[in-house]
Amino acid sequence: MKALNYSPEHLTSNRRLFWIAAFLGLIMMAPVAWIIGLSLKDNAELLKGTEAVFSFPYTLENYANILKSSSVFGWFMNSVIVAVGQTFGVLLLSSLAGYAFARLEFPFRKTLFIIVLFGLAVPEQAVIIARHQMFNWFDLHNTHIGLILPNLSSAFGVFLMTQFFRAIPKEIDEAAMLDNTSTFRIFWKVLLPLTLPAQATLGIFTFLQAWNDYWWPLISATKSDMYTLTIGIASSQTNFAQSEGLGFLGAQAIFASLPVVLVYIFFQRHIVTAVSGGAVK
Amino acid sequence: MSASISIKNITKRYDSVTVLDDINLHIEDGEFVVFLGPSGCGKSTLLRMIAGLESITEGSIEIGEKRIDTLPPGQRGVAMVFQSYALYPHMTTRQNMAFGLENVKVAQDEIDRRVNDAAKILEIDHLLDRKPGRLSGGQRQRVAIGRAIVKEPKAFLFDEPLSNLDAALRGRTRLELAQLHQRLGSTMIFVTHDQVEAMTLADRIVIMHNQKIEQIGTPMEIYQYPVSRFVAEFVGSPPMSMLPINHIEKTADGVTVEVSGAGTVATAITLPAEFNAKDAVIGIRAEDTEVVSEQEDGLDLTIKVVERLGDRTLLYGTLVDGTELIAEDSGRSKVKAGDMVRVAISPHAAHIFDGDGRAHHSKMEV
Repeated sequence: MKALNYSPEHLTSNRRLFWIAAFLGLIMMAPVAWIIGLSLKDNAELLKGTEAVFSFPYTLENYANILKSSSVFGWFMNSVIVAVGQTFGVLLLSSLAGYAFARLEFPFRKTLFIIVLFGLAVPEQAVIIARHQMFNWFDLHNTHIGLILPNLSSAFGVFLMTQFFRAIPKEIDEAAMLDNTSTFRIFWKVLLPLTLPAQATLGIFTFLQAWNDYWWPLISATKSDMYTLTIGIASSQTNFAQSEGLGFLGAQAIFASLPVVLVYIFFQRHIVTAVSGGAVK
Repeated sequence: MSASISIKNITKRYDSVTVLDDINLHIEDGEFVVFLGPSGCGKSTLLRMIAGLESITEGSIEIGEKRIDTLPPGQRGVAMVFQSYALYPHMTTRQNMAFGLENVKVAQDEIDRRVNDAAKILEIDHLLDRKPGRLSGGQRQRVAIGRAIVKEPKAFLFDEPLSNLDAALRGRTRLELAQLHQRLGSTMIFVTHDQVEAMTLADRIVIMHNQKIEQIGTPMEIYQYPVSRFVAEFVGSPPMSMLPINHIEKTADGVTVEVSGAGTVATAITLPAEFNAKDAVIGIRAEDTEVVSEQEDGLDLTIKVVERLGDRTLLYGTLVDGTELIAEDSGRSKVKAGDMVRVAISPHAAHIFDGDGRAHHSKMEV
């Protein structure tokens, strides 16, 4: 283990790094603080000038208006349905595929895995026109299914789960086989619970990605009642900023970010583990 | 509920590589058999084939009167204890032990009874609600054995189950396994490369080498009558010393051999007429040697290393031509490194191995 260094030079250097980090952190946080400030101000006051953010009084009226506004609440629900649906779908499909690639013998297994990995290299933009056309044929635009389906096939998810299943000792499967366990029960009762850390990581990232997704909902959800929050807020910015005010817009942005912030707060440990995974033993 | 096991003409090939070649073995009901051999000899593969975790290329396996090599592992009536224990990490001890019974829909009160009984036998009843992560290596080992016991199998299969334990715990667990076998009276197959485990646990040892069974016998048969040079060198600690033979002379009692230009050793071994003397050696175990006075017959040994074990002293030395020999002296031996001692060899204890490695022994009671 590395010994702690308490030398004056080292402490001074640490202090300097701290202040640099704090300064950069403030720059990063400034827009967020600005939006929070806007969301807490009366819209009429903000019309006179945004410097009003720095002075009292503050109000929660904009947040109250969100709850009264049927469209914002509807967008929120759309985002919840899409993000939760996509998260569970990705977890289920990636786990099944990961288990199959890691444990089952079937023809062209290696080739198929390489094809799946190739999916990591294909940007969404490359397939968006074809996908739009297909969804049009099947009349899936402006539906929750249409918003959820495209991202269910997660190459990253399959890769992550495959690697995780591979890391589980095969003796566990063998012990279960000797315990007269069916293949599905080995997957479901024995191995899947052992992949919970990977499920948590994949679930968090999928949820965040689905919640923040802008591009596909922009193409697929053209009716306002099918907007997700990201699309809804963007449309508010262009259509209602003048009539409903900057404060209301700020409150919407904060409201939209809340689930993401909550996910970060509650699953911080898993996110850090996921990001630093494999860095240290 | 235990049963005999018959392995008939078993061969295992991976593509062109043969890992087991025409293995035949019958294990009696209630017998404790140990598969012993160096790494890569195929002993674990054979065990896994009995368990159903490896397919067989040729041959058949029967448990009792029933052919089982076509059945899936869970339906063969065997239970296996793995080297790594392979407990389900997310389940408690109780759940680990009950899981296999739940799969075959055993009634809950029967599951509880079996789990509690096995836990009592193994003294793990206070650990039933703990998960494997909170158990020591020895406790995990017991849970793994408990998981096997509750299934009331026809045969227990142990795949090097003691190798992850420290020396003290290994010794204790070995003793407990022997007691468990006496108590259950079940057929048990135990795979190990540790000869002490094999010698202390087995009713019979199956020595495996080069994809084949080299010898089957009781521990003392294997030790005293090794069929080949490989077995003689593999079993026993310290290993048997092998001294090149320069000349063989028939005597009334057997043969006298001239060893490495260091002297002669009289043996009670009768050699057959077709004996292949080229590259023949005489094998001598340390305990069959005796340090004698210079007036007596024997081989002169220059001592390089002295190993004092308390009850006895091992003397590692070389003969005049540099051939190594390990001799034994009493625990109070005064011999030290650099000394030259004369070592006599018991005529009934020597073994002669011909050029093909086949053993020839004197006729002696085991």
